[in-house]
Amino acid sequence: MEKKPQWLKVNYNSEAVEEVNNILAKLKLNTVCKEANCPNLGECYKKRTATFMILGNVCTRHCGFCNVSKGCVQAVDPQEPQNLAEAAKELGLKHVVITSVTRDDLKDGGAKHFADTIEAVRILNPEITIEVLIPDFKGVAENLDIVIDARPDVINHNLETVKSLYAEVRPEADYERSLFVLKYVKKKAPQILTKTGIMVGLGESAEEVYELMDDCLAVGCDIFTIGQYLRPSSRHIEVKEYVTPEKFAEYKRIGEAKGFKYVASGPLVRSSYKAEEALNYNTLRG
Amino acid sequence: MKKFVKMPKLSANMETGVVVAWNKKPGDSVKKGDVIFEVETDKVVSEVESVEDGVLAEVLCEEGDEVKVDATVAVLECEE
Repeated sequence: MEKKPQWLKVNYNSEAVEEVNNILAKLKLNTVCKEANCPNLGECYKKRTATFMILGNVCTRHCGFCNVSKGCVQAVDPQEPQNLAEAAKELGLKHVVITSVTRDDLKDGGAKHFADTIEAVRILNPEITIEVLIPDFKGVAENLDIVIDARPDVINHNLETVKSLYAEVRPEADYERSLFVLKYVKKKAPQILTKTGIMVGLGESAEEVYELMDDCLAVGCDIFTIGQYLRPSSRHIEVKEYVTPEKFAEYKRIGEAKGFKYVASGPLVRSSYKAEEALNYNTLRG
Repeated sequence: MKKFVKMPKLSANMETGVVVAWNKKPGDSVKKGDVIFEVETDKVVSEVESVEDGVLAEVLCEEGDEVKVDATVAVLECEE
């Protein structure tokens, strides 16, 4: 096992984790926290927050960085929207983040299931803010419309990495298509905050990151997150670089100077990590 | 009353963890929430918190040891 830099340290309290796991198991819910083996799980579960993952826990794509299971997809659970709404209520969430596996096998890519989940959450939790982290739905506008029309507060779609690394990191995705998703959402519903996130340490150069930032700003992206890629196992892509906290601070400074409304940048930052902070910041600024 | 501190399952696919640091030594008092030890996994180093108040009675492995998930790594002496 590779020795980690001293800044990659997280907290773990088994009692707090078990409490959240019990709620999730009772309601038959998945989280990307668990499925992707997120290092922040201990901290987030301790605060009784989690990022739900709908449409099963098996993905139809094979991205080289991701720990989520691949293989035989699961049947979509029609109870899931209601169960998720109940979990959000039981956890007392003020801001809920919902993501999914990519379901290229479904005609609408799972868009209706996203919309049903947003609706169910809102009915049971009227004051809650809702953020969805969506796949690209193959860039199909009708499917994006279904999610947009459900009016979440934030639509996040991650670019994940710079253009030159797509073949290795995200072979079944497309850089321009992902930019299109962000552009389309902003054009269709300007009041919905758009968000994207990338990992660094995969072999990108700083110049490529700045170019990506410019591309995202050109399509009206509001919020940007950037974190260290961590290798889930030896079957996944190697870490090419442990980017320093100082470099992350520079990415944040430059991202904000370029014009993002909010930038979250740090080794352990993930697109859904402390997601409510971006929304609170944006609300405070008016 | 003895409470056994175990190697936690920090991720779904974790089978073993490497203990990289002991933050407490035998005889130290431990409060709920104190970090007792640190474990290195594939991704990060996790600071494992105590879920009990007590005194660290015994440490059963050394820094650098690779330990199976759920194996006992330390013993806490807690009040009834």
